[in-house]
Amino acid sequence: MTISKLLVANRGEIAARVLRTAKARGLATAVLRHTSEQEGPAHRIADEVVTIEGATPVVAYLDIPQIVEAAQRIGADAVHPGYGFLSENAAFVAALEKVGVTFVGPTSEVIDLMGDKIRARAFVEGRGFPVAPSAIEDDDPATFVERSRAVGYPLLIKPSAGGGGKGMRVVRDDSNLESEIETARREGERYFGDGRLFVECYIERPRHIEVQVMGDGQGNVVHFWERECSIQRRFQKIIEETPSPALTPEQRDEICETAAGIACAVNYRGAGTVEFIYAQDGSFYFLEMNTRLQVEHPVTEMVTGFDLVAEQLRIAAGEGLSAAQADIPQNGHSIELRICAEDATADFRPAIGDILLLDEPRGEAVRVDSGILGGGKVTTDFDPMLSKLIVHADDRAQAIARAREAVQNYVILGVTTNTGYLDAILAHPDFASGDVSTGFLAEQAETLTTPGKDVSDLLMAAAALSDERLVNDVMQIPEMHRKMGGWRN
Amino acid sequence: MQRIFQINGEEAECWLSHDGSEMVLNTPDGAIPCQLDPIGTPGGYVLRVRGRAQDVRLAVGPDATFVHLNGKTYAVRRVDPAERLAGNEGSAASDRLVAPMPGVVVSVNVKPGDQIEEGQPLLVIESMKLETSLIAPRGGVVAEIPFAEGDSFGLKATLALLAPEEE
Repeated sequence: MTISKLLVANRGEIAARVLRTAKARGLATAVLRHTSEQEGPAHRIADEVVTIEGATPVVAYLDIPQIVEAAQRIGADAVHPGYGFLSENAAFVAALEKVGVTFVGPTSEVIDLMGDKIRARAFVEGRGFPVAPSAIEDDDPATFVERSRAVGYPLLIKPSAGGGGKGMRVVRDDSNLESEIETARREGERYFGDGRLFVECYIERPRHIEVQVMGDGQGNVVHFWERECSIQRRFQKIIEETPSPALTPEQRDEICETAAGIACAVNYRGAGTVEFIYAQDGSFYFLEMNTRLQVEHPVTEMVTGFDLVAEQLRIAAGEGLSAAQADIPQNGHSIELRICAEDATADFRPAIGDILLLDEPRGEAVRVDSGILGGGKVTTDFDPMLSKLIVHADDRAQAIARAREAVQNYVILGVTTNTGYLDAILAHPDFASGDVSTGFLAEQAETLTTPGKDVSDLLMAAAALSDERLVNDVMQIPEMHRKMGGWRN
Repeated sequence: MQRIFQINGEEAECWLSHDGSEMVLNTPDGAIPCQLDPIGTPGGYVLRVRGRAQDVRLAVGPDATFVHLNGKTYAVRRVDPAERLAGNEGSAASDRLVAPMPGVVVSVNVKPGDQIEEGQPLLVIESMKLETSLIAPRGGVVAEIPFAEGDSFGLKATLALLAPEEE
């Protein structure tokens, strides 16, 4: 099954990134665009732009019949889902299969299994891989609260159909367990149309470490090493790196082999990520498996030298993996920063505005995967992530230095972004020493948002002098005085 | 010519003048000679303040001037002097529930005319993937609920208005 024309059923930076590789492989390419959506980088790369309709852009990007029809209409023989939207939707995969269009990703059965956290957990546990102590509502709904209590505090409530931190709640105290369960259930129903929950023990100061895997669906699975993703706000990652500074070589092998083992157990096809909670004592537990390309995949590409989208397309076309495990290196160190339109000093409130000026950093081993163009508008229609800045260097210290220089030179004017905040994280001594956990940003909130050196006189001067009306008014005064002859130098 | 700017949440007043040879920014900390010259790159300038020159990138937006200086980006908000005076008047703060961030209304529990108690949940909103209940800051009567279930609202939108308290 060869692929000659690929539809990317996504938008923003990931659509642009997938399209670049697809074009480099000689495929004809197409991408979606909602009627209300402005032009982005992906629309300039794709050979064809397919307009989709819907009450809101998000509704349109989730509209399975419309997207399947679009793929058929333009003669696409494969669809790449990117991440988010329909990337982990088994019904979408099944709908494509039905009309003979290849889905670049795993089978609908595997998506179904891994998309249900409860079944995924049971599967992984059943195969002898480590999972955290938990209570699953479905096992016996009547005793769920009691069994949750037995897990102990603090505990974490999660929607069983969830992902991306949505609807997750930490409970530290028995007094609000029941009300938090109800809130989580409502959130689960709303986001995922599924109010079933599970509870697991909340590990204090955990790290989030994940492993990139790739399978050919014929029983061959390789891993592309780990990524450390502990720098999170609101359960969402904003800085990722590889290698993890926490792991010894032995621990690295153990966690990577565990991930590959899990992928092997489901005869995995395509790119996937096995996420683990990593405790301070070095123990780790299976968290979930994401059956798609991750936002943070570029750091893996930087250290291994592999183009993961090219691997996905190879596998989808039945060409198999391009490398054996022994051929996949982990060279140097890579860091990714997620550039988001948000105000880090105001609880990460999403920011909107027009991009008045955009100047991306360039340089050796600096990569920018961007979803924005100068002159564009940032709205709240989509996720606040605008782009990703990825750097590579020989070691971690140099990678941090390079990332700092690059983020400082990333000029986005017109909308508030987190570039200064990301730089403050990179400059923090605990980040430099690698002593972080998923609670790091919350613990260091004050330090990280303290304004630096006071430059308000410079800023006032710049703002006043660039205010044309003000400058004109000021310049007319001496003119007037001169005319009256009363002004002398 | 006076301007009020807001930097990092703090307001500062300044006065721009020209002494016949150069621009002077008059601030509470004193008079600062300054100069801004374009350098050809988009939004690129040399800013000279107290004789010291540095490169800046800047862009003038509708409510703020964005300045990239020394590796950091700042928003210098322009405060309208008239708005600043009006800000503290009008309806009392406790009559109005204002959106702390942009989001979507999940559910509305009350309607205009309803008698409510202090602490009673009025509506549930969802912002940044989290649900929050907005509770009544005081007892009274609901005057207005401008948004319905499923509606999106912007930052500082009024989500509920209570009838003014009778004296």
